[in-house]
Amino acid sequence: MTVVATVGNVLVWAVWVLAAFACLGSGVAVVSFSNPFYSALALIGNLGSLAVLYLLLSSEFVAAAQVLVYAGAVMVMFLFVIAYVDPRLESPWAGGPGWQAIGAVLAAAALLVEIIVVIGLNADGSLAHSHDVGGTFGSPGYIGRLFLTDHLLAFEITSIVLLVAAIGGVILGSHSRRSEEGVAPL
Amino acid sequence: MTEPWWISLIKAGVIVNLIMVAFAYTTWLERKLLARMQNRYGPNRAGPYGLLQPFADLIKLVRKESFFPVAAQHPLYIAAPIVSMFTALAAFAVIPFGAGWQIWHYHVNGEIANVSIALILIFALGSVGVYGAIIGGWASHSKYSLLGAMRTCAQLVSYEVSLALSVLGVVLMGQSLNLVDIVNKQGATIWFFIPQLAGLLVFVFAMIAETSRPPFDLPEADTELVAGYHTEYGGMRWGLFQTAEYVNMITLSGLAVTLFFGGWHGPYAPLGPIWFLLKVFAFVSVFIWIRASVPRLRYDQLMRFGWKVLLPVATINAVITALLVVWVS
Repeated sequence: MTVVATVGNVLVWAVWVLAAFACLGSGVAVVSFSNPFYSALALIGNLGSLAVLYLLLSSEFVAAAQVLVYAGAVMVMFLFVIAYVDPRLESPWAGGPGWQAIGAVLAAAALLVEIIVVIGLNADGSLAHSHDVGGTFGSPGYIGRLFLTDHLLAFEITSIVLLVAAIGGVILGSHSRRSEEGVAPL
Repeated sequence: MTEPWWISLIKAGVIVNLIMVAFAYTTWLERKLLARMQNRYGPNRAGPYGLLQPFADLIKLVRKESFFPVAAQHPLYIAAPIVSMFTALAAFAVIPFGAGWQIWHYHVNGEIANVSIALILIFALGSVGVYGAIIGGWASHSKYSLLGAMRTCAQLVSYEVSLALSVLGVVLMGQSLNLVDIVNKQGATIWFFIPQLAGLLVFVFAMIAETSRPPFDLPEADTELVAGYHTEYGGMRWGLFQTAEYVNMITLSGLAVTLFFGGWHGPYAPLGPIWFLLKVFAFVSVFIWIRASVPRLRYDQLMRFGWKVLLPVATINAVITALLVVWVS
């Protein structure tokens, strides 16, 4: 029994290391590909490996929602647009790294250091020992209850923001179509 | 009710192979049924009743010359059918086909993986499966492939919304996203196709569109697009796309049976998987029947139907079900 448990632990570690490095690697790939189609694919890989990390944190629902919404729906739209533009003809990022790129990397490094310091100061050693979570943690029922009790306001406001965005999209679409129809034929 | 991990592994291997056999004979069934409906014989040379036809097709596809456009993006061109195939096969893992059995002194579950988010997992895999078409269409570097990929993408994303909303009523009545719980609930009460008839209708329409079957086969409309996103594919690479389409059809039929028709339940309980198989077979036959009798829609009709008919019906059905569930309890 202990052998099985050890094998299980090693497996979890292996998956964690794999997912973490895939996450970092695909993140770097997103900004380093010159072809935006490949960048978008790397971003899908990034979101997918994030989902694996969520899964290891026993939040199955968040992992599945991540794949369904971000990797599945949002990124499809990205690829849709990029495929239409055909990035093979001209890639706007061709050429070596400029001052802007160097500045961005430095800013990101500063931000990373800041995050590590803040987490280290606030965690008080609670990162070192593991917490036990209940069997229902991360299940759809658990998350649903949280949404409708503790986080009700944020949940409802998000839904209104999304509704506004949807209406805005419809108005923008119909507006451009109307102006196209209004153009007199030459 | 846990089982050792190696039993799950063996079961996964067996089920994947069974699905491949089911796929092979679905193609045979389709050709045979279509032929009979059109007053022809269909395949009748390879083996008795043409039963060896799927194997002849397989050998033909594998032995074909691997041939593709010079401009194709190699890694992506090759990866695309693999993505399609993987997501199609993986989705079946959470569909329960039996109540579980005691074999010797091991408990064997009636599904490969019993997860609390089974339903979302199937939709998530379905939405990842769209990439097979987009990547394949883009990497082929051909106009017809790209246009086909765009159509596939627009159609699948549009109908995914209706598909997900149509099962919301079932989720509310079963009070779970776990398919085993939903089947058990139907065994204890009634099969959900009676109270969720509107949900079932929306589900079936969206399901046909999701698998790009006629009359919703716009992504590969041969009169307009040659063959859609897989125009530049040949041999077993094309075969993988085709397999993915049929496996998706089988999986979604299995999902429909699980959600609306009581899964493995039937008049004689011990026959669990047989009942499941019979119901899936009935569903697949209806798919083929529809293909034989309805002509293809026009593209704008397809989009209008999806957004202006199916989506409102699915939404109203979900809202009414929610109200009734709260009112009854």
